[in-house]
Amino acid sequence: MIADGTLAPDRTTVVDAHLRACGECASDVARLRTLVSTLRGAPLPAAAVDAEWPAIRARIDQAKMITIADAGASEMAAPRASVFRQYGWLGGIAAAAILTWVALPRLTTRHDDAASSARRDSVRVLSAASDSARLYEEEAQQLLNQLELRRSMLRPEAAASLDHDLRVIDSAIAEVKDAIARDPYNPTLRQMLALSYRHKLDALRRVGNAG
Amino acid sequence: MVAVNEVGGSIDDTVQRAQSGDVDAFESLYRVHAPAVYALCRRMIGDEVRARELMQDVFVRAWERLTTFRGQSSLGTWLHRLAVNVVLAHLRTSKRDALRLIETDDAQIAGRSAHAQLDARMDLESALLKLPVGARTVLVLYDVHGYSHDEIAQMTGIAAGTARAQLWRARRALTRLLSP
Repeated sequence: MIADGTLAPDRTTVVDAHLRACGECASDVARLRTLVSTLRGAPLPAAAVDAEWPAIRARIDQAKMITIADAGASEMAAPRASVFRQYGWLGGIAAAAILTWVALPRLTTRHDDAASSARRDSVRVLSAASDSARLYEEEAQQLLNQLELRRSMLRPEAAASLDHDLRVIDSAIAEVKDAIARDPYNPTLRQMLALSYRHKLDALRRVGNAG
Repeated sequence: MVAVNEVGGSIDDTVQRAQSGDVDAFESLYRVHAPAVYALCRRMIGDEVRARELMQDVFVRAWERLTTFRGQSSLGTWLHRLAVNVVLAHLRTSKRDALRLIETDDAQIAGRSAHAQLDARMDLESALLKLPVGARTVLVLYDVHGYSHDEIAQMTGIAAGTARAQLWRARRALTRLLSP
């Protein structure tokens, strides 16, 4: 803090007095001050950012096209993630309303209340499962990022043990996801997936708390 | 025009238009913020091509998530936070870097060959890349981009005290690498 001028004034006085008497510390601080000054004065790496925009624009447009194509391809599709991303909670409600508005007349015209009810339930279940998985994955990613920042402070054996546990859990998650892809309405598989995600979050939180 | 939202943050007109799906408004935001986001990616990754790709990823994700921006921090801070997350996720999925992150520590930095240390002294950028990722992230955010420890804690999810410890560690290691 003395090197970058953020030390409180009363403590600065004390430290300055010590530095006047201690050549070794004064030399250390001088080196640090040079480093901080070099870092703050170093020019930021520049890029031709204009050249990158067309690629970003293309990816944004492509995402829109895929969303529309997917939505048209399957009336059983859950509300698209991009709709949620675009319009947040409001989009979620709107998407649910649109889904109901589009799906309901088609189902009721078949005069098959039982079938339509089952179908709406299936859409709701798939949508909820998809949202839950996304939330778990986002939370896990957040914890993983925090772990990376702390990793060098962990004991090597603790880090290795965690990596091993995560590999096992990730492998289990991948297998359950494959099974769900083959049997999407199986509640036991969805429970297993949720359990696997919870194990992963617990493992990451344990390390976070220990750190 | 600036709107005040329900959480007390303010969002300017360009951001609001981008949030409602106006890509041209988003392009304006990109042109303002892209240089700083690129610099952050480049400092954390090193490789120019990869840094450009990650900058693209950051802005594509920013477009997707812009509606979650509530104006509680500046858009620049929000984008930096997103960029840090994108870069860390990339580092995690990159096996080579992941191994280096696990293995690199102060003792190894100090014990590098004289030749390697000479190379590092010649190039601040390459010296930065020899730091463990946690230390490098905090150093880049604090010393290069000027964020406070509290802001860094908010951006990365680590405690402010951990950020201070990482900064001390990074400066100590970097001083060793750069000193004659």
